[in-house]
Amino acid sequence: MLQQSAFGAPGADSNPIVVEGLSKTYQVTDREGGFGAAVRSFVKRKFRDVKAVQNVSFRIGQGEIVGFLGPNGAGKTTTLKMLAGLLHPTSGSAKVLGFTPWERNSGYLRSMTLVMGQRNRLSWDIPAADSFLLNQAIYRISDADYKRVFDELNELLDLAPIIRKPVRNLSLGERMKCELAASLLHRPAVLFLDEPTIGLDISAQVRIRAFLKEYNRRSGATILLTSHYMADVTALCERIIIIHHGQTKYDGKLVDLSRRIAPFKLIGVTLGDCADCDLSRYGTVVPGEGSEDAGKHSVQVKADEVAAITARMLAELPVVDLTIEDPPIEDVIERAFHE
Amino acid sequence: MFAIYKRLWLVNWAEQWQYRANLLMYLAFWLVSPIVYLAVWTTIANAQGSINGFTAPDFVAYYMMLLIVDIATSDITIHIFGYKIMDGSLSNELILPIHPVLMKVLVNNLAFKALQMMALAPIWLILYVLYQPVFAITVTHVLLAIPAIALGFMLQFFAGATITCIAFWTTRVWSISDFYSNIFRLLAGQFVPLALLPAFMQSASQVLPFRLALYFPVQLLLGKLSLEETLLDLGLQVVWCVILFVLFRLVWRAGLKKYAAVGA
Repeated sequence: MLQQSAFGAPGADSNPIVVEGLSKTYQVTDREGGFGAAVRSFVKRKFRDVKAVQNVSFRIGQGEIVGFLGPNGAGKTTTLKMLAGLLHPTSGSAKVLGFTPWERNSGYLRSMTLVMGQRNRLSWDIPAADSFLLNQAIYRISDADYKRVFDELNELLDLAPIIRKPVRNLSLGERMKCELAASLLHRPAVLFLDEPTIGLDISAQVRIRAFLKEYNRRSGATILLTSHYMADVTALCERIIIIHHGQTKYDGKLVDLSRRIAPFKLIGVTLGDCADCDLSRYGTVVPGEGSEDAGKHSVQVKADEVAAITARMLAELPVVDLTIEDPPIEDVIERAFHE
Repeated sequence: MFAIYKRLWLVNWAEQWQYRANLLMYLAFWLVSPIVYLAVWTTIANAQGSINGFTAPDFVAYYMMLLIVDIATSDITIHIFGYKIMDGSLSNELILPIHPVLMKVLVNNLAFKALQMMALAPIWLILYVLYQPVFAITVTHVLLAIPAIALGFMLQFFAGATITCIAFWTTRVWSISDFYSNIFRLLAGQFVPLALLPAFMQSASQVLPFRLALYFPVQLLLGKLSLEETLLDLGLQVVWCVILFVLFRLVWRAGLKKYAAVGA
């Protein structure tokens, strides 16, 4: 693990989410392909342990939005499911809003929500409006509260034009809006979002992100979200937790990650007429995004040498334009996975 | 609590109407065996005069009553809930603060039943005109039949829910469910009135709960039972409901533990 969290004091139970040494080992059946193996496995099954989550600990403070990142199979969804009370851990403990999630206390279920981008909770056959009313009854929301929350969600998500259509006739983006609204009618204090923008087009992603940010600002809800879209993470999460092979690799501020993992910057230079300029003297020349034709090049240099190298470039080369950028967040996180 | 049941009802009712074709096929499936049995037995009884004292009008009255009671007490939990355990969509319901089976599936069953009854009505009237059954039904019978049918349904519901829970361990439950429904068909009196079964099967049907869910309410409505017999069977229904309810709770709890262990 690269860095202890700077958030939430250890031992303070004011944190809505406290996870201590959480582990989950699955038993999966194991067999080779082929007919013989299928018959053998019918008679006697072989099991193999898969450690999905190993000794994960973190605390999340009131109102934080934390990005929970890792490659496929890293243990993100398993962790979220444990925190939502769907899975029993093999060992370790967790308290969310003071409840042990997997005891599935109805007080707990009433104060949190889990949204899975690939699963839908709304009934396909009826308009979302009917499912909303069902949720109102299930969560025992008074008419006055329901109206207030619905109006607010409607204002943020523009639901009115879509909630009268059967859910099966909605586009993916429209459906996700309704899913989010249905999951938030009871004003949960804690939100677990598993890939809330998966499969959505760019503009729908942008709208969902803006909504989550605004919802968090207004309600003070604590949000733990997984996403493979870095734009989600950079737009929403000041803090990230990186998990890989079930273990925490990093827990801290997103901006600090680049400094630790990738202490370099990219200098983008556009050169004037210069046939034999050798940029490798200044740093590692990075294959650009096809803009070399226009004379633009990217050079990767150590962060603490940026000033000196930039000065040399300006002095020695026919520079037309020069930019200094952080490395792309995707690259930084990809490095963090494997560090 | 009532508000939740009311909303669940409205949603389920609306959902059922979305699939008219499916509903009609389901109904056809449901009605085809009793109607076939009705036709076969009345034909045989007509040819032979009677079978063990059962005349053709007896068979007609029996099956016409059975058509109604069968829909009223039947349970479809395995069809509407089994796949949710198999494909993991149960997770969507476990995060809600209501019981997925005792609230959602129960109401789903009732909404389906209501719709089935509406669809049965015209078919039943046609059969009535064709076969001209004679019923010796009194108000007392109807009043006693109300709890008998309600308990008959609860009994089937708890049994069906318990069997559905086997999916937590085996993932697929269709074979078990088919086996169960065939045994039910035989020992609850759908295949043939229980009085016509071989002696050992009659004894089996006496100690097992199946007949309480179908044969008993039918016999009650046909005026074949004394008050003592009726009260005894009502008592047995309550006992079996309690047993099956407790069994369901145990299996459900163990099943959820298993579900939570292997991955939802």
